[in-house]
Amino acid sequence: MSEDKVIVANRGLVRADFNFWVGRYLDKFYDNLENKKVIGNKCTKCGAVFVPPRKVCGECNVVIPLEENWVDLPDTGTVVNYTITPYRINDRTLRKAKNLLLGMVQIDGSNTSIVYRLLDLEPSEVKIGMKVKIDWAEKPKGDPSDIKGFVKV
Amino acid sequence: MEKVGIVGYYQVKMYSDANYGRYEMIFEAVRGAIDMAGLKKKDISTVISCTNDYYDGRTISNCFTVEVGGGYMADESKVEMDGAHAVLYGLMRILSGNHKLAVIWGGSMPSCFPYHSTRLYETDPTWERQLAYVNDITSAGFQMRSYMEKYGASAEDIAKVAVKNHKNAAKNPLAVAEAQNSNITIEDVLNSDIYADPVTELMVAQPCDGVAALLLAPERQALKITDNPVWITGVGYSQDAYYLGDRNLYESKSMEMAGKIAFESAGIKNPQKEIDVAELFESNAHEELILSEALGFADKGKGATINSDINGELSINPSGGAISGNPPCATGLIRIIEAAKQLRGEAHGYQVNNAKKAVASGQIGMCAQNNIVFVLEGGN
Repeated sequence: MSEDKVIVANRGLVRADFNFWVGRYLDKFYDNLENKKVIGNKCTKCGAVFVPPRKVCGECNVVIPLEENWVDLPDTGTVVNYTITPYRINDRTLRKAKNLLLGMVQIDGSNTSIVYRLLDLEPSEVKIGMKVKIDWAEKPKGDPSDIKGFVKV
Repeated sequence: MEKVGIVGYYQVKMYSDANYGRYEMIFEAVRGAIDMAGLKKKDISTVISCTNDYYDGRTISNCFTVEVGGGYMADESKVEMDGAHAVLYGLMRILSGNHKLAVIWGGSMPSCFPYHSTRLYETDPTWERQLAYVNDITSAGFQMRSYMEKYGASAEDIAKVAVKNHKNAAKNPLAVAEAQNSNITIEDVLNSDIYADPVTELMVAQPCDGVAALLLAPERQALKITDNPVWITGVGYSQDAYYLGDRNLYESKSMEMAGKIAFESAGIKNPQKEIDVAELFESNAHEELILSEALGFADKGKGATINSDINGELSINPSGGAISGNPPCATGLIRIIEAAKQLRGEAHGYQVNNAKKAVASGQIGMCAQNNIVFVLEGGN
């Protein structure tokens, strides 16, 4: 920013932090993560398996009932895409000393992929199609951080 | 579709760090468009604005723009997407038959806020936002890699798009100074800072400060205002699944759908032959190829093989596209203005010869989740 530009960055006295209820489907998903288990749910029409679970399949426009069609999944998957960034995602101006290696991982038996860190890997080692498994947090809390990332099988 | 004409436009010069406030910019753009059309404030019957509460740092941010945006004692409504979506809303207001002149304006000032952080607010607060691995930068890395892996495209193919758009931007007086580079090479692009591998700094349409405004009028009114209207003959709009992991990032199914609808309404059977100029909102260089392919300008994976230079086979982004400047909430609107300039013969310095039919697109969301495309035709 120009030095002669007067910037008012005062938040004043305003503070409004939001809480979000994750909903009944993700609630069940997170309860399972807390026990180091991955579950998805399956569209009643097309059979696609979603991780995380969904209430509605967008393609078929049908509701997946809350009490049905849950699928137990393994903690292994395939790297379908990856990227490496030297930036902190929430502040591009600050460089990290180490590259952040992110993968899109398709859990075996599911039709979608999730974005997590790929751990203990050099960028040059990462290949699309590579098999990986979840590195679980030591003390799972029932939230997305229970999956620390994925490591090579 | 009933004829609706673009009868005026104005875009402020884009800056990476503008030295004047957003409200001054909004006034300059809206007043500029009205002056261009030889009209007065009282002629405005409806205003559609495009801003984003997160980018403005306040809720219902349009209520602060009443005086500068032409909304004072007029009817005004806001679209919180891309400026191109605001044009669709304005078009609908005109087609309702209730309005004779719609002002559409959009823009923001990212020099005052952390743009990439605000993009995190697009992500699901109950899922991926908590770990903050997905924003516009990392998703672009995934999208480019997906395109290269699927079709065997090279980083050079993508860098070529960035080179073309930076060179075109050098001819566009309203482009951001940092984007204007007539000597840029493929090596410069590939060797620039890595944002999210394989995306590098010079492939990214950098957010910048800017505001643009456009005037729409129904046919009868349009012909009274100008001898040189640009007609909207088709519009299409579609969106893909929300989560990145649910989509094929190497293609744009939503743009395919949008293009199909727009071309059908405009009676265009072979877009590759019939369209003279395309102004596409590419958030990153590789998106220009993905969107071109979705619109049928090239086969899937072959976007890099067409000559898209000014007066090439099909001129794509002669203005420099979003790489020439990417003011959030204005970029798609600017694409429409740039296409209109081409059809009116007013793209001085980067004019495409005999441009008769054009497309212009806008987008919003990670990896262009949501696309909107307009078909525009010049002349009477």
